[in-house]
Amino acid sequence: MTAVDSPTPGADPVRGRQIEEYVFGGLIVALGIFTLVEAGTIRVPSSASSVGPRAFPYAVGFLLVVTGVAAIVATARGKLGELEDAEDVDANARTDWMTVAKLMVFLVAHLALIDLVGWPVAAAVLFAGAAWTLGARPWWKVLLIAVVLSLAIQIAFASGLGLSLPAGIFEGVPLLDG
Amino acid sequence: MDNITLLLDGFATAMQPEYLLYALLGVTLGTAVGVLPGIGPAMTVALLLPLTYTLEPTAAIIIFAGIYYGGMYGGSTTSILLNTPGESSSIVTALEGNKMAKAGRGAAALATAAIGSFVAGTIATVLLTVLAPTIADLAVTLGPPDYFALMVVAFITVAALLGSSISRGLASLALGLFLGLVGTDTLTGQPRLTLGLSTLSDGIDVVIVAVGVFAVGEALYVASRLRHGPVEVVPVGGKWMTKDFWARSWKPWLRGTAIGFPIGTIPAGGADVSTFLSYAAEKKLAKRPEEFGKGAIEGVAGPEAANNAAAAGVLVPLLTLGLPTTATAAVIVAAFQSYGIQPGPLLFTNNSALVWALIASLYIGNVMLLVLNLPLIKIWVKVLQIPRPYLYAGILLFAALGTYAVNFIVEDLIVLLVIGVVGFFMRRHGYPIAPAVVGMILGPMAEEQLRRTLTISQGDPVALVDSPFAMVAYGILAVILLSAAVLRFRRSREKVPA
Repeated sequence: MTAVDSPTPGADPVRGRQIEEYVFGGLIVALGIFTLVEAGTIRVPSSASSVGPRAFPYAVGFLLVVTGVAAIVATARGKLGELEDAEDVDANARTDWMTVAKLMVFLVAHLALIDLVGWPVAAAVLFAGAAWTLGARPWWKVLLIAVVLSLAIQIAFASGLGLSLPAGIFEGVPLLDG
Repeated sequence: MDNITLLLDGFATAMQPEYLLYALLGVTLGTAVGVLPGIGPAMTVALLLPLTYTLEPTAAIIIFAGIYYGGMYGGSTTSILLNTPGESSSIVTALEGNKMAKAGRGAAALATAAIGSFVAGTIATVLLTVLAPTIADLAVTLGPPDYFALMVVAFITVAALLGSSISRGLASLALGLFLGLVGTDTLTGQPRLTLGLSTLSDGIDVVIVAVGVFAVGEALYVASRLRHGPVEVVPVGGKWMTKDFWARSWKPWLRGTAIGFPIGTIPAGGADVSTFLSYAAEKKLAKRPEEFGKGAIEGVAGPEAANNAAAAGVLVPLLTLGLPTTATAAVIVAAFQSYGIQPGPLLFTNNSALVWALIASLYIGNVMLLVLNLPLIKIWVKVLQIPRPYLYAGILLFAALGTYAVNFIVEDLIVLLVIGVVGFFMRRHGYPIAPAVVGMILGPMAEEQLRRTLTISQGDPVALVDSPFAMVAYGILAVILLSAAVLRFRRSREKVPA
């Protein structure tokens, strides 16, 4: 594991990460306050015993607020969170927000397309889009793999597992429409 | 011994060709996801949950057990052969295994990992077979305050001992507890934290949370800092069937088992902690300590054995108390629950056939894994080389598919995306994932035990500590926390001169 407080090229990324950590810690505190407020609105039936449905939510809300504040304090004292390690992560790479944004776009496109044109097309869009974004080339190979993979899953679901994914534009097609 | 009869019955079930095939499917999938970076056993079990609803419980549980054991074997192949120096140092096997592979002794490193995993896995499964029914008998006598104490111990150790920052670990736990709260209160039927949305009134499905934080969160995180270019795998070289190999390996295997199994059974961070301890022990006991850091076989044999023994150890509290101590164990609890089976002391009486078939399948799975990981290792080297753009695109696709297959509604995918983004930021800012998953699954159970305790005592909080077992549990928790604080302090002092 690499410590984050070791010198990083350029001062800006550290500052940016610090702001992000404040925001994330702040969101945890906000979620805690929301939980505390909501807990007060949970209806307590008269049949409820000494500890009703409110007690645990109050405790969780309190824990969220306390730990969120603790994380903010730790950040302020210079203890930034350690970036997680993974085999495929380049420790020296700057965060590539563009890639993350593109992947999010393809995920949203996927869920929007399922009901419109069916699962196979939506799946092919997600797979091809994500693989392309992450650097797979050439485009026709990416598209070919995506189409074959989504159709194979669709057939496996329709015929093998007895769970049918919405076929959409392939409605009524044997094998694809379960 | 009546348990031996039950175990033999279990073997009779698990040896049926159908179940052997399910076990083979499980261990093969498990090895594959262990080999591939970015996918773990927790996520795989979660993804397969909706797909196995059509299977009967025994078949599904045998597949999940195979994935669980297989993941432990596959991970070592990746640590040893993937050429990403420094990066995977959190996995102890990589310290020595990767050096061995680069020095042309990859075959020996892979073999000691596979055979060590087999030896440790088998011994630990024997221990599990002997211990679990006894512990289950004792556990039947535990009351609600005892269970609540155990869950508090699990929460605190998982949240505070893992990861680098206690506050972030506890925050992660709190996030998990929050997710577990959403839905309808089981005791009074009141909606809680649902924002009035009908989708949320049944609660957030564990599958969606597990897939969101593990698959989507991980894929987004890796994508944000992806190592581009071809995957560099160290070629497997050298011979392993030498006298020296066996002479230097067998003691670390046994020591690793002795360290791993007990660590696995207590809620102390699971397999990772045991590999660190085993590595340290081997380094201290080594006849040639100068080899450590340059490719010492003991440094692979010990931690790999410890890793697998701990994995079996985790099953002891899981099966006897219903207490998950790792993220994967938590997802397996969710898997049991989805079949209407509650892991815990009554499992051995109520679902005896299933539990003994499961234990028998662990023995069988270990033998299968030895074959899969020794003669067939070349296949996994190929799997390891899957181009990363396709690997992560595939992870995203299967994450979306697994989530959609839970209820076949698009709203679930929106929840998946939100949780995936949260998982992404948690990874970026050092919030460990495991406490959130354990918190979400154990939280509702803890609340139930707490409320039962206080209902019986008519609101008197003293009841929570008014049992010898609970007192011991809180006492041990205090000792663990104290020693962890001392270790942390000493480590931080060691860091300064370095």
